[in-house]
Amino acid sequence: MSSPSLTLPSQERIPARRRLLEILGALAIAATYIYLVLNQPADITGGPGSASALIALTGFLAGAILLIVAVLPTLPASTLVLIPVALVLNIVLGQFVGSTLVPFYLDAIGTVLIAVLAGPAAGAATGALSSIVWSFFNPTVLPFAAGAALIGCLAGLAARYGLFRRFYLAPVAGFVTGIIAGVVSAPVAAFVFGGTSGVATGAIVSAFRAMGDTLLAAITKQALISDPMDKAIVFTIVAILVYALPRRARQQFPFVRRHRVLTGNTPAAEARVDAPAQGTARTQVPGTAHDSAPRG
Amino acid sequence: MTRRTRLNPLTWLAAAGSTAAVTTAAASWQLSVAVIAACLGLSLAGGTARRVLPAAAAVLVPFGLSLLVLHGLFFPEGRTVLAEWGPARVTAEGLEFAGQRILLLAAVVMALLLFSFSISVPDLVAALSARGVQGRFAFVLASTLTLLPAIAARAQRIRHAQESRGLVVTRSLVSRVGAFRLQAVPLVLSLIEDAGTRAAAVEARGLSSPGPRTSYREVPDSSLQRTARAVLVLLAVAAVVLRLVQAGAGG
Repeated sequence: MSSPSLTLPSQERIPARRRLLEILGALAIAATYIYLVLNQPADITGGPGSASALIALTGFLAGAILLIVAVLPTLPASTLVLIPVALVLNIVLGQFVGSTLVPFYLDAIGTVLIAVLAGPAAGAATGALSSIVWSFFNPTVLPFAAGAALIGCLAGLAARYGLFRRFYLAPVAGFVTGIIAGVVSAPVAAFVFGGTSGVATGAIVSAFRAMGDTLLAAITKQALISDPMDKAIVFTIVAILVYALPRRARQQFPFVRRHRVLTGNTPAAEARVDAPAQGTARTQVPGTAHDSAPRG
Repeated sequence: MTRRTRLNPLTWLAAAGSTAAVTTAAASWQLSVAVIAACLGLSLAGGTARRVLPAAAAVLVPFGLSLLVLHGLFFPEGRTVLAEWGPARVTAEGLEFAGQRILLLAAVVMALLLFSFSISVPDLVAALSARGVQGRFAFVLASTLTLLPAIAARAQRIRHAQESRGLVVTRSLVSRVGAFRLQAVPLVLSLIEDAGTRAAAVEARGLSSPGPRTSYREVPDSSLQRTARAVLVLLAVAAVVLRLVQAGAGG
């Protein structure tokens, strides 16, 4: 088997086309949302499978897929191999919380982690991919792909502009992200699923319905209660995790280095939970030899 | 069993996707029930029922319960009141709405789960790569599905290790948060280290290099299946378009 050249092809080959796809994807998501919100009063009690459900599904899914197609080929290999890890973290943690009685989801820890380490584009792709791959076990998360992409993108932007440099700013950024993501995801919950995505969130929606709200209004209010708290918790967890990583592990990401995402001084007490960082600070290219030293 | 191995995974995908689209577009409970029954039959015949049914139940039971509570008890638009306790009113319209939603959701979930448990992932990856779908997407898909059990096992090992060092989780919130950190930090750290190693390995095997790839995996396909796929996709598109046109005309 002839081995192809190991040098990277130039990444700047067709940036215009990729950029166009990115913009189209974002436009598809935005247009779908605006259409759904404008048209909802006539349609909400029109029975299941109404046209709105189909529009929500096609618009959000098409947008998410366009984003993946635009972003995925541009990611470096060191980021690409992290995406499956992030997806597994999302699934393992999200599957657990979704079935318990907490009105949170906590299903975005992996996505936010990637966004902080590798930037908004990688975060958006991870969010969308996460929903698509997770739907192999739980098809109901598929329509939330656009919302998940948005969370990844916003988390990456927060990291880019230094909100993870101060520990108390991370939950604030999460709170704001949660508001935006919750509002965008509400029509999916309303039109595709008829109201809920879990026992505890359903209870909150019921409370607003009891006060006579329309379904979309009730769900949007529920999302405004659950999502900001949820994302504030997720961002805090990610901040703890990222600062607990040894410097060598996090500085291997160009995004972290270029935009000075994290403050330089590692909180020493945070990092001593685990053993493997036994070597002295070795300066090396990511992935040359580092995990080969036996542990312990 | 033999039938399962002869079908191309893309045919499965087209069938499941188009079933989901048509069921959603049609929105009739009779069709939903028929789809659920067909999926049950297929999964029993294909020998996947043992895995499909628990997965479907894990998704559908919480959903169904919360839909019933939500619309069964609180449906301000409902007219026919069956029972009333304080602010909660059980209305016929609400129950009907919840029932239809649950059936529709169950049909879609069953169809998609039947697909994901009936195909072999390596076949799907090979079929996708042969169609010119990004090798990167195939890598993410295959890597996630194979990493999932490995990472779950590693999380368990880390928990055992921390417990043997004296980690006791009590019911208090502080203790739980502390326990979460003690387990999550080593897990994430080791996963990122692994990913670095894997990045070099993947890069050395030419993941980023453009150009054609040779696959050693033969995925069964036939002209009949190709036609079936085209018909299924057209069917789904037609159902969606018809539904949208109908909604546009009917207001």
